[in-house]
Amino acid sequence: MAISVRNLSVDYNLSHVTAHALRDISLEIGKGEILGLVGESGSGKSTVAFALMGLLANNAKVTSGTATIGGRSYDLTRRDATAPLRGRGMAMIFQDPMLSLNPVFTVGTQLCEVLRRRLPGGDRKAHVAMAEEALAKVKLSDPKRRMGQYPHELSGGMRQRVVIAMALLSEPVLLIADEPTTALDVTVEAQIMREIVSLRDRIGCAVLLITHSLGLVTEYCDRISVLYAGERLEHGTVKQVQQQPGHPYTRMLFDCEVAIDRQRAVNVTENRFTVIPGELPDPFRRPSGCIFNGRCDVSFDACATTVPDEFAVGDAADHGARCLLLAGS
Amino acid sequence: MMDAISISKARLRFGQTIALDDVSLAIPQGTCFGIVGESGSGKTTLMRAILGLQKLDQGDVCILGMPLSHSRAALKKRARVLQPIFQDPAASLSPRSRIRTLMGEVATVLNEPLAVTYERLGVILNRLGLPKGILDKYPHEISGGQARRVAIARALLMKPSILIADEPTAGLDVSVQGDLLNLLQDIRQLENMTLVVISHNLAVVRLIAENAVVMRAGKAVESGDVASMFQSPRDAYTRELLSAWPRLRVE
Ligand SMILES: Nc1ncnc2c1ncn2[C@@H]1O[C@H](COP(=O)(O)OP(=O)(O)O)[C@@H](O)[C@H]1O
Ligand SMILES: Nc1ncnc2c1ncn2[C@@H]1O[C@H](COP(=O)(O)OP(=O)(O)O)[C@@H](O)[C@H]1O
Ligand SMILES: [Mg+2]
Ligand SMILES: [Mg+2]
Repeated sequence: MAISVRNLSVDYNLSHVTAHALRDISLEIGKGEILGLVGESGSGKSTVAFALMGLLANNAKVTSGTATIGGRSYDLTRRDATAPLRGRGMAMIFQDPMLSLNPVFTVGTQLCEVLRRRLPGGDRKAHVAMAEEALAKVKLSDPKRRMGQYPHELSGGMRQRVVIAMALLSEPVLLIADEPTTALDVTVEAQIMREIVSLRDRIGCAVLLITHSLGLVTEYCDRISVLYAGERLEHGTVKQVQQQPGHPYTRMLFDCEVAIDRQRAVNVTENRFTVIPGELPDPFRRPSGCIFNGRCDVSFDACATTVPDEFAVGDAADHGARCLLLAGS
Repeated sequence: MMDAISISKARLRFGQTIALDDVSLAIPQGTCFGIVGESGSGKTTLMRAILGLQKLDQGDVCILGMPLSHSRAALKKRARVLQPIFQDPAASLSPRSRIRTLMGEVATVLNEPLAVTYERLGVILNRLGLPKGILDKYPHEISGGQARRVAIARALLMKPSILIADEPTAGLDVSVQGDLLNLLQDIRQLENMTLVVISHNLAVVRLIAENAVVMRAGKAVESGDVASMFQSPRDAYTRELLSAWPRLRVE
């Protein structure tokens, strides 16, 4: 069953001002699909995740938004709207696995707790067996011994595997992973990503992968949504967006990536990195027109005054971007 | 030509941990050298040994042909040749002094009139894209990207011939990262500096460095010129690192 988020807007209230962190964000993820949500730091990626999980900071206010998860609608402007889904239906992997783990309980206790919540009245022995099996599935060596260990006895990669095992046991409809591998080494990153993919394959859940790495998106995701300063500027399948970026920002982001097979030029001045000049707009006062105006390399007069609607890119119905250059094309 | 840095048979243990295991390498003057490897492989320890902040159990470090000495006087003198940029720049800036004070200290160390130091600082800040107003701020009042630039500015103000940076772009967005790396490359060329970059980003090292070493569990498992190392890695671990790197595949 598909997951959707409609018109999500979130404000953060500071003492005298209000930061509009998200403006009318919509997302859709098909069952068994992995959607990559990308954007620079501060663009609002974690705010999307927290709004869905009901984990927003106290000074946050959801001003609009509904989510459809598991066939039911949730009004996200209501606090704790998705509380019934936490731990059963929805699971989250954070960049720091310790946010999901309790330092004073053993791995086994925490895994069994997940099962106790999902299958109340179940048999403790059966739960232990299932927990051990989950640890084996995420390729943690020696699952029996791990069950008795505390989080601090494990490495960062192993802890993240435990969190994935917890997600696996909760059999979510939607798994949200917020920068799950950012703190890990590249070889461990690849292993953890493979575990997330295999979790998806096993339970067929939808996955929202939040990352600033386009490399991870193109390698592991089916679809991509590009966030900039709290607005979604483009969405489509990874293939569509990569082959024909509809928004200049998306194109520039891809141009910034350094490909591993890019060879060093003998002439040192050729070894330049592409950058996007300029800075994120003021979060307190949205400039008029296109949010990316001012940093865009192909903007024209109307971009300063007209907020672009979303237009289809090419003839694909499921590939859209908010750029005036697409109007009437 | 003389090597900027040479290390021979460096060994160091912390209790049971072998942090450096017979590491030898040479970094030619005026080149860019990359140090890559997973966390815990000994990269930062190697940097601290080069800076004379960490004594080795065995082995030698030479800076510009001179054996490293650990006396205070030598440490001070070395600061004029070799400057570090630590991984957490905010932590390496003193939290209680304004950035202006931090920069002013350089005049004392170099025995230079303050006005001359500030004049050079103006040029450096400009090149780093830092506003002059930043001098009146405290380290906690600036962003992570700015703190990195301040740390670089302070290092450059010392007029070093060797700059050694530990993960200078970790945690930065790709565009900000590119900007910083372009800058380091420009400065290196302009000042004919030796640049040592510790990074877990293989794609970056491939582009900016002439030579590199791959570290694992304290060992230098492979080293040499970057072009051939990436084209035909000899060591199994180097191959594993390369294949794990996410590719921007285009069908
Ligand atoms: N509790 C908060 N109070 C005020 N501003 C916040 C709060 N949390 C996040 N923000 C701001 O909201 C914006 C989006 O933040 P975030 O969702 O964390 O972005 P990302 O995950 O893409 O880096 C940023 O400008 C951030 O500074
Ligand atoms: N001061 C110290 N005391 C004890 N162990 C240390 C110390 N510094 C580093 N180590 C250990 O030495 C090894 C190498 O560490 P480090 O040089 O920081 O690696 P890297 O920078 O490659 O991540 C690690 O196992 C680390 O835990
Ligand atoms: Mg975030
Ligand atoms: Mg280190």
